[in-house]
Parts: sequence; structure tokens; C-alpha cells
Amino acid sequence: MTAAPRMRALGAVAALAVLPWLTGNAFLQHMMVLWAIYALLALSLNIIVGYLGELSFGHAAFFGIGAYTSALLSMQWGVPVWLGPFLGAIVAGAFGLVIGFVALRIVGPQFAILTLGFGAILHTITNYWVDLTRGPMGISNIPPFSLGPIALDFAQARNMYYVALVFLLGVAYVCHALMTSRRGRAFIAVRENPALAASIGIDVFATKLHGFVVATAIAGAGGALYGHYLRVITPELMSLQYVAALIIMVIVGGKGTIVGPLIGALVYVSLLEMLRAAGPLRLVVFAALLTACVIFLPGGLVSLWRRLRERRLAPEPAGASA
Amino acid sequence: MLKVRGLRVRYGQREAVHGLDLEVRAGEIVTLVGSNGAGKTTTLKAISGVLRASAGTVEFEGRRIDGLPPHAIIERGIAHVPEGRLLFKDMTVLEHLELGAIRAPRSAPAYRDRVQRAFELFPKLEERKDQRAGTMSGGEQQMLAIARGLMSAPKLLMLDEPSLGLAPIVVDTLADAIRNLHAAGIVILLVEQRVDMALRLADRGYVVETGRIVLDDRAEALLENPRVKEAYLGV
Ligand SMILES: Nc1ncnc2c1ncn2[C@@H]1O[C@H](COP(=O)(O)OP(=O)(O)OP(=O)(O)O)[C@@H](O)[C@H]1O
Ligand SMILES: [Mg+2]
Repeated sequence: MTAAPRMRALGAVAALAVLPWLTGNAFLQHMMVLWAIYALLALSLNIIVGYLGELSFGHAAFFGIGAYTSALLSMQWGVPVWLGPFLGAIVAGAFGLVIGFVALRIVGPQFAILTLGFGAILHTITNYWVDLTRGPMGISNIPPFSLGPIALDFAQARNMYYVALVFLLGVAYVCHALMTSRRGRAFIAVRENPALAASIGIDVFATKLHGFVVATAIAGAGGALYGHYLRVITPELMSLQYVAALIIMVIVGGKGTIVGPLIGALVYVSLLEMLRAAGPLRLVVFAALLTACVIFLPGGLVSLWRRLRERRLAPEPAGASA
Repeated sequence: MLKVRGLRVRYGQREAVHGLDLEVRAGEIVTLVGSNGAGKTTTLKAISGVLRASAGTVEFEGRRIDGLPPHAIIERGIAHVPEGRLLFKDMTVLEHLELGAIRAPRSAPAYRDRVQRAFELFPKLEERKDQRAGTMSGGEQQMLAIARGLMSAPKLLMLDEPSLGLAPIVVDTLADAIRNLHAAGIVILLVEQRVDMALRLADRGYVVETGRIVLDDRAEALLENPRVKEAYLGV
């Protein structure tokens, strides 16, 4: 990173760190936690959509797997809660490995359909395996996040916000490091032209599988945090509604960037609240937003900023002022 | 070093290469010439593993490589610079070189040395190392495509119509670069439409027509061959 982006990144981190102290309003703090967790999930889906150039309709299933893994392990086997996000990531990543290994043989729309199928299967199993998951009733009284001997109450939004923020920043950093590495370049090559990428020695399948497993593992960690924060989970977590929400965040915010999904998550969480009165009509608004973005702003909201800056820097095209 | 025997390649139902034999020996520059649609590109793609042959064998340094995935073939020491200098338009020169180095034989020199060598061969690229490929001229793009291929430290470099769409003076630079590479010990298989240039560079040549070799000989002999003169040299 050159100096200016690094300063900007540090500034953003500082702002995010003081954010919950700017308000005593518990509801706003609650929104901040939701934002941080959704942003984490959006970043993970962005690896698939933005970096690998594939669409996954099954991402919420991995989110759900992480949530159930962590909740069940802590409640039934007494596994320390702080381990939950990591175990959730491992289990979700293992599912991602198996599903990716099968589904990534095919790419493009067929891959998207396959992920839809796998997502639906996992959702259905969670719904019907009542002995393990308690089915549609879901699991309640999940213990809040805890750090063992450190006696902080993570049922409090302000404290939980920092836990989610640490994960979010960690993942954002990993994404940044990845995309400036040789491996990240291979991701882009595979996205831009798989045939060419293969011809210069990139193992396209292995590259896609690598990205897919990382993305599903991160979704698992996000799911675990979500479960311990809301303390209730149901199979609905794996439903198409969450899939759609994640896709909207990534596309509206700006796929293939790091800031984009964070902005997308912010837009989603805020709109969800502001439009609460509108009931199911909210979905129409979200659909319209997504459609408008795809048509008018394919780079998402972050591209507005880039457009402005380019306009300022670019030389005036000849005759443009006439 | 490279032996192709009875190579057949088909696209769906249609066969484009019908039992082609070809050999490249250590220390040679060999050219494969022929008119549009003869099957030259198809042959190179089958050698580099991008396309699967339906029959025939490809041997490199005594070992079968047909059926291996492209990245494994690159590790054996064959680089393929594709027709149309396919680049990633938003990636810079340096990023392309980095990508080209993703696979290489174990014996390859250090990454920095390979970059250094590529820049020695094409000093223009060093001047433009942070420029995005999409904004470079045709000649620079071709140099970059070749440099990217060289980053895998190949023993055999396959070039598919490197002169396509380039001005004569740039073609000369390119020919010099090919001679330099050859002098540095890299064996070259050159596919060209500029038959005169190709035959002047090469030690031996093959003429392909509709998926078959119809002539093969020393390059000087082909230059004098009446059939070649009439069909490809426009004399
Ligand atoms: N992807 C493809 N699908 C179907 N047919 C193809 C494909 N690529 C090439 N062909 C056919 O295979 C034959 C050989 O094509 P190839 O590209 O190998 O020719 P070439 O000798 O490289 O020609 P040129 O000098 O024009 O590059 C042609 O008849 C072409 O139409
Ligand atoms: Mg060709």
C-alpha cells in the first residue's frame, strides 16, 4: 500500500473503533453489530462473486452451518464459546471443500444453479433433522460470546461490536493481502479469462476451489458470531432470503473491492430498519435497488467515488466543453 | 526433444488435425507454416495441453506429455505464447510477468533473474513496467506476451503468429529477439503466416494444409521450393 491509501485505511479503522462511543443508544449499537457481521459475510461472498467471478446462491448455507456448529458445540459439548467462530469456520470450510470439489467442475450459470441446489439441500436437512437441530423451532438460549477468564459481557452490543470488528478487519486485511499477492493475481486471471489463465499455467479448478473454501470458512465464522450474538438461530438463516441479502450487499456496494461489501452491508442494514414499516414491500425496494445497480452502476456504490475522482484527474476530452 | 506422432484433434464432430507428425530437435528453430485454418494453432494448443488430442502421442524429452494438464506441461519446460497476444488488459507489465512465473520447472533460475532477462531482451518493457497491458501498442503487447511465456523458464518456446498485425520494423525487432532467445539455448517452434520471415529464421520448416503436413525440409530448401514459392511467397 502506498502512503495515502494506508492513511485512509488507518483513519477508517480508527473511526470504526470509536463509533459505538458516539452514541449511548442501545439500538444503534445493535445495528452496528449487525452491520459488522453482515459486512464480514458480504466480504466472504465477495471472494466468490468479485474475485472468482462466480455467483453462489448457496452462501447462506455456510453461514448457517457455522452458526449451528458453534451453538451446538458450546451448548452440548461445553466447547468454549470463543473457539466457536474458528470451529464454525472449519466445519463450513469442510462443507465448502466437498461442495466446491463437486460443483466447481462446472462454471458460470450452471455452477450458480448447483450452489442453489446444495444450499437448498442443507437448508432442508437443517429443517428436518430435528434430533440435532430442533428443526424449525431453532435453537434458543445460545450462550453469548465469551473470552473465558476475561469478564466482559458480550451480550452487550458495544462489547460484541468489537469482537465482530476484529474479525471483520482481520478478514478485510486478508482480502487485501490476497489480492496484492501472486495468488490474487491468479484469481483475477481466472475471472477475466479462464482459458488464457489455464494456458499460462494456472490450475483454474484448484484456484477456484481455494477461493471457494476460504469464502465458505469465513461465512462459517460469521455465522458463529451471529448465533452467539442473537442467541437464537433457526433454519431460516440458510434460506434464500439471506442469500438474496448477501448478494444485494455485494452487488450494490461494489463487487471485487473491499470497501464495496462494507458499504453494501451498511445500506442493507439501514434500509432494513428504515423500511420496517413497509413490511414485505421492503423486498420490492431491495429488488429495485439491485436491478438499478446492475443496470446503471455495475461497479456498485464504490464506483461512484472512483468515477468522481477519475473525472477530476482525467484530461478534458477534446470539444467536451462546447 | 519434441516428437508429435499421428496427432488428431477435433472440435466437436469436426476433425481439424488429421494425423500430424512433427519433430523439433534440441538446438533448432522449427517453423510451421500454412494458410488460414490449416490447423497450426490447433496443433500448438494440443501440444501445450489446452486442447485434448483425440489420437496420437506427444513426447517431450523422451516422456509422454499428451493428456497432462497445461500447468504440468509448463513445468516440463514448454511455454506457449498464444495467437493474438492474449493479455489481461487491466494488469501491468510486472503483474503479467508474475503470472507467467506461476509455474516453472524446478531448475528455473530465481524469479528476479528471469525478470532481469526478460527486460534485457525487451528493454521497452522495463520502461513501461507499471503500464497496463490494455494501453500498450501492438508491438509492446507482443513483447509482453513473449516475456510472460519466458517467465516459466521454458526449454521449448512455441510462438503462434507473433508478427500478426505488426509494422515491418517491429517485426524485425521481433525476429532479433527470437534469434537472441535461440542463441541463449531456447528451442523454438514458430507458427507464422509471414512465411519468408519464418523460413529465414528457421533451421527447418513444415508446411501444413488442412490438418496435414504436406512438406517438410530444411528451411533454405523450402524457400527455393516452387510449391512454397507459388503458394506462400507470392513469387
Ligand atoms: N474453437 C473452435 N471450434 C471449432 N472449430 C475450430 C475452433 N478453432 C479452430 N477451429 C477450426 O479448426 C481449423 C483449424 O484452425 P486453426 O485455428 O488451428 O488454424 P490456423 O492454421 O491456426 O489458422 P490461422 O493461420 O488463421 O490462425 C479451422 O477450420 C477452424 O475453423
Ligand atoms: Mg492460428
